[in-house]
Amino acid sequence: MNNAKMWLVVKPTVGVPLFLTAVAVGSFAVHVSVLRNTTWLPQFLSGGAAMEQAALSPSAVVPTGGNATVVFDGVQQVGTSQQAVVVLPDGRTARVVFDAPAVIDGTKTALLQ
Amino acid sequence: MNYDPDKVWPSGLTIGEAEELHRHIIDGTRVFGFIAVLAHILAYVYTPWFG
Repeated sequence: MNNAKMWLVVKPTVGVPLFLTAVAVGSFAVHVSVLRNTTWLPQFLSGGAAMEQAALSPSAVVPTGGNATVVFDGVQQVGTSQQAVVVLPDGRTARVVFDAPAVIDGTKTALLQ
Repeated sequence: MNYDPDKVWPSGLTIGEAEELHRHIIDGTRVFGFIAVLAHILAYVYTPWFG
């Protein structure tokens, strides 16, 4: 409580709104920078998980002919590596992380022979 | 305006008033901090933050 005497210098009608506005602006700026600099927050806010499930309904991509299907669903790890989902003939899925920096379009599926 | 020796300028508050106001400011800041800690815990639990 050693800063209380600041109110002998700063009028509360000026200092209090200024203080609250500064906290609000600062908090807003942090949210904007996290939204801009991460991949998980935008995906989370746009229902990334739900979209991932929808895009991956097993009936749509379950391969025929006994091979596995790889779906590049656009979910990307922070940094260079790209993720994809392998769908096995029995419908089970596994998420794989590719080390190669080349990013493949997220919507294609590649049949593994 | 009658002269009050306890009033301190430029803001014109007394020391007691300044300390009372500051107590509210500090309490409010603590509540804000508590809410922020709670929000970060929820973000850590429910979002892919930190894997």
